[in-house]
Amino acid sequence: MQTQTVTEAPRLGKLYLQAVVTARLGGGGALPDTELVLPDQVVDPGHLAAYVRVCGGSRRDRLPATYPHLLAFPLQVRLLADRKFPLPLPGLVHLRNVCTQHRPIATDDPLTLRVHAERLVAHPKGAQVDLVATAEVSGERVWSGRSTYLARGSDAHGAHGATAPATVDGVAAGPAVELADDPAAAVWRIPADAGRRYAAVSGDVNPIHLNALAARVFGFPRAIAHGMWCKARALAAVEARLPDAFAVDVAFRKPVLLPSTVHHVVRRAADGWDFALLRPNGEGAHLVGTVRPPADEVLPAPR
Amino acid sequence: MSDWYRDMTNSAVLGGLTRRLGLPRPAVLRRHTPGDPLLTGPALVVAAGTGPLVAAVSDLLRADGAEVRFEADGERLAAVVLDATGAETPAELEEVRTALGPALRRLAPSGRVVILGRPPVEADGPTAAATRQALVGIARSVAKEARGGATANLIQVSDGAEDALASTLRFFLSGRSAYVSGQVVRVSPAEVPDAADPTTPHAGRVAVVTGAARGIGASIAETLARDGATVICVDIPAQGQALSTVANRIGGTALQLDITAADAPARLAEHVVERHGGADVIVHNAGITRDKLLANMDEARWASVIAVNLEAQLRINAALLETAGALKENARIVCVSSMSGIAGNRGQVNYAASKAGVIGLVEATAPLLRERGATINAVAPGFIETEMTAAMPFGTREVGRRINSLSQGGLPVDVAETIGWLAQTASAGVTGQTVRVCGQSLLGA
Amino acid sequence: MAPRRAAVVGGNRIPFARSNGPYAHAANQDMLTAALDGLVSRFGLAGERLGEVAAGAVLKHSRDFNLTREAVLGSALAPSTPAYDVQQACGTGLEAAILVANKIALGQLDSGIAGGVDTTSDAPIAVNERLRQALLAANRAKSTGARLAALARIRPNHLVPEIPRNSEPRTGMSMGDHAAATALRWQVTREDQDALTVTSHHRLAAAYDRGFFDDLLTPYLGLNRDQNLRPDSSLEKLATLKPVFGRGEGATMTAANSTPLTDGASAVLLASDEWAADHGLPVLAHFVDAETAAVDYVHGEEGLLMAPAYAVPRLLARNGLTLQDFDFYEIHEAFASQVLSTLAAWESPEFCKEKLGLDAPLGSIDRAKLNVNGSSLAAGHPFAATGGRIVATLAKLLAERGSGRGLISICAAGGQGVVAILEAAK
Repeated sequence: MQTQTVTEAPRLGKLYLQAVVTARLGGGGALPDTELVLPDQVVDPGHLAAYVRVCGGSRRDRLPATYPHLLAFPLQVRLLADRKFPLPLPGLVHLRNVCTQHRPIATDDPLTLRVHAERLVAHPKGAQVDLVATAEVSGERVWSGRSTYLARGSDAHGAHGATAPATVDGVAAGPAVELADDPAAAVWRIPADAGRRYAAVSGDVNPIHLNALAARVFGFPRAIAHGMWCKARALAAVEARLPDAFAVDVAFRKPVLLPSTVHHVVRRAADGWDFALLRPNGEGAHLVGTVRPPADEVLPAPR
Repeated sequence: MSDWYRDMTNSAVLGGLTRRLGLPRPAVLRRHTPGDPLLTGPALVVAAGTGPLVAAVSDLLRADGAEVRFEADGERLAAVVLDATGAETPAELEEVRTALGPALRRLAPSGRVVILGRPPVEADGPTAAATRQALVGIARSVAKEARGGATANLIQVSDGAEDALASTLRFFLSGRSAYVSGQVVRVSPAEVPDAADPTTPHAGRVAVVTGAARGIGASIAETLARDGATVICVDIPAQGQALSTVANRIGGTALQLDITAADAPARLAEHVVERHGGADVIVHNAGITRDKLLANMDEARWASVIAVNLEAQLRINAALLETAGALKENARIVCVSSMSGIAGNRGQVNYAASKAGVIGLVEATAPLLRERGATINAVAPGFIETEMTAAMPFGTREVGRRINSLSQGGLPVDVAETIGWLAQTASAGVTGQTVRVCGQSLLGA
Repeated sequence: MAPRRAAVVGGNRIPFARSNGPYAHAANQDMLTAALDGLVSRFGLAGERLGEVAAGAVLKHSRDFNLTREAVLGSALAPSTPAYDVQQACGTGLEAAILVANKIALGQLDSGIAGGVDTTSDAPIAVNERLRQALLAANRAKSTGARLAALARIRPNHLVPEIPRNSEPRTGMSMGDHAAATALRWQVTREDQDALTVTSHHRLAAAYDRGFFDDLLTPYLGLNRDQNLRPDSSLEKLATLKPVFGRGEGATMTAANSTPLTDGASAVLLASDEWAADHGLPVLAHFVDAETAAVDYVHGEEGLLMAPAYAVPRLLARNGLTLQDFDFYEIHEAFASQVLSTLAAWESPEFCKEKLGLDAPLGSIDRAKLNVNGSSLAAGHPFAATGGRIVATLAKLLAERGSGRGLISICAAGGQGVVAILEAAK
């Protein structure tokens, strides 16, 4: 795998535009054998404060475990937006995200971020791919993240016919927790502008989050909340009770249409937490997640 | 309360006009404020008959800082005191004419005429009694002739009551009696406790004032507090906010109590004992009106007025007398009656009944209190400027204001000052009486 | 030096008004001042310097940063009386009383006033968060240009104000929603809740009728009694109401068996016995002890309003008492279901064993001794004012009885519970 160092975080709006222009449906081909590296990123305290304000939780001297994802995200998009990337960026759906904090990250730790794509596999509805990110401080890996995306209708040629390891209702299997019968620990009343607000701090200006019209183009009746915002907020609810090292694993099952009221359920597990965002009418989950001790490799390797 | 007519006739511009039209000119009355001297000018002390009290009266006046004259020499007089206690024959009344007549011409605005006589009932035979009673006619007529806010009153000093005279004489000479005129007060022999400082006659005493949240009651509380008393302000719970304001303004306490409640007298007695170790002064001021012609009077109007204005006073007095320590030595009870109780009033049969009843209550209770050194008296206010009178129709209000010798309504403080005098320990010789605070109203005269 | 016991000399409150009722235009400071002035007049304290005044409000304007001190300055108390604000949600009033009582017990104070006030009518409305951020940025800006740039970020929709929500910040759920979940957990029936409600109204009305509140309450702005009080409340009438919290079959909580939003203020005079005697003032009762508990409702461990169920057993244990050793129980009726859930928990062997670690349940109480003069369901519940109402009411009950002991239990937002024991003055 060749390493390509990026000196400055790419501009996301430009990348999206470029991706829309160059998009090819069901592109195909192999994953790029490239690792993008963005060295020595220092967190902007103002940006961190804005992130915390939007996602809940408290401003501390440590980074939320979901925050490094934000730093790595432009690199992900740059890989995805590349003309040679086998799947089209527009319309990609986030299926699952695992963030692993190997040790607490101080807000002034300079982070070196590495991103590559792997495990392009077939999915009943198309193809899925993992974008893997790591964060290092002076060569020590302090954080890693794995985002699984689905490209509907695409073929996973590069995966040579392999299928995803396991599926639930056509979605990549996430943590196996069932919380539908638990009473809500909290009720979230998510306003219509939640997507625009998170876009403003995350840079994820994917139009499906920004307004209903754009969302309709991609088959959603209204704009939908960012999965990573839901995850960050759910994690913030238990932030005071998290160990120094953990993995927070979330499967995004049904999109949260904006505006929306959802029930947040949280339950203490033997070695962590189980949580979910449920529809108030009992008709399934938007998201289920776990907090567990970190594993070396959270997902099984592709077969 | 503004008296538009008095203000107009006393104004620079319109005053001249009203004078030329020959309209009456209600005077701006001299009222007491703390620090005021007893009199604002010299006092003339004269006698009809032997004048046995001239020396004592002169000493009292001088002790209070007043200049005393025995002959008028043309200067304006703040007061004239006529000692007629030595007059026992109608012939001696001629000296009233010669002594008082010229002096009246030189009486200053808000001047005071005080005539001292003896009680007719204590006279030896008809001649003396007639002479003594004649003084009543003189005092009341002089009161009507007086101008510029001047008043005239008669003090009937019983034989042996000379030492008990001081507080009453001071009251009638001072600005405290601004709206009391044409009245007759008897002073009986009594043990007068060691003289309190006349400027703060209620220092160290505890006073209960019912109906203290507003109007006359609030003024009574303020006046007693000004003169040194710790005042327990009582009113119905619904008046609590106003009551609290009054109590805090005067550094007193508020007691929310419906005095008609069955347990109210006991609660009041218990309260004064537990919180204050007994009361020195009780002022029964709480009163209500529920006017209706008798023909249209319902039971509720009748009963509530009798209950508040009369029965409550009787029951509270009984409870205070029964409860050990509730009334201190030399206690003073002052009840508020009304002109309606003396003269009667159309549409106020219930009210007049209650207020006349108070006069009977006072007369009958006085002997019961005598052995404790305690007294009970009533004041009967005439037209007093309050929120109640302000709500009267214009015509009724104007008639009410003008049909008295001072051609104006009184103020709540005038009633309060009168109560303050009766409540003094030094007023031990005055009991069982009803004193009108009416500017010598024509009603019931 | 052994601590002395703080005496409850008396209390005062203004009648509680329904939200946007007679006190719609009264601010917290106005109402707290009125409550203080009524107390001052009741005990002849005009111009007197007291040890301190501790009070607070749950819903507070930023301009009221020194609410209690400002109220003192506007009251008839001596301006040399110090004051500070306390805030522990609905526990504010009782917590303030505990603070003052503790200082008296330690000899740091001889006298003090504890109080609370709340208005839901004159509630603080915050500017839109983005408008606030823009204004703050403009304020921080060092140059005119930067200031203009910050202000230029303001958009018309930023002018929509933010009305405070009566919900828990961490759960987004109203207190009623939380209580409904707890009611379901303890299977509290609609009938039991309504019966408790009717009893509360009838008992409060009877207490008014016998003049019980004559020396505990001072009318304010024309209101003489608690506006929420319905003396003619009946089970039949309450049965017609639709549930407002919870869902479907399990929904039992109505507008009647939950306390309405209320405006009001209360204050309690506390002192050492010596101070009271010096001032010729009565001692109604003594503060014995107090305890505050909190539960983790955020992570699903316990119901939001169940903390008193934990605080009381700790208080009982410390004082060597059983739940039955009381002559009066004053359990704040935030919701009828809250009272009933708490009682059910104390009767439950499982709860007492698993959650409280007790060998046997605390047991049941004699309901005839519970809220004998009514409580918040009838009187209303201006959050921070409820503690003062209850302390004064219980102290007077104990004084009337002449002996005995009373338990106060108040649940509070944030999963907290403040409880205390008073004993009649001997």
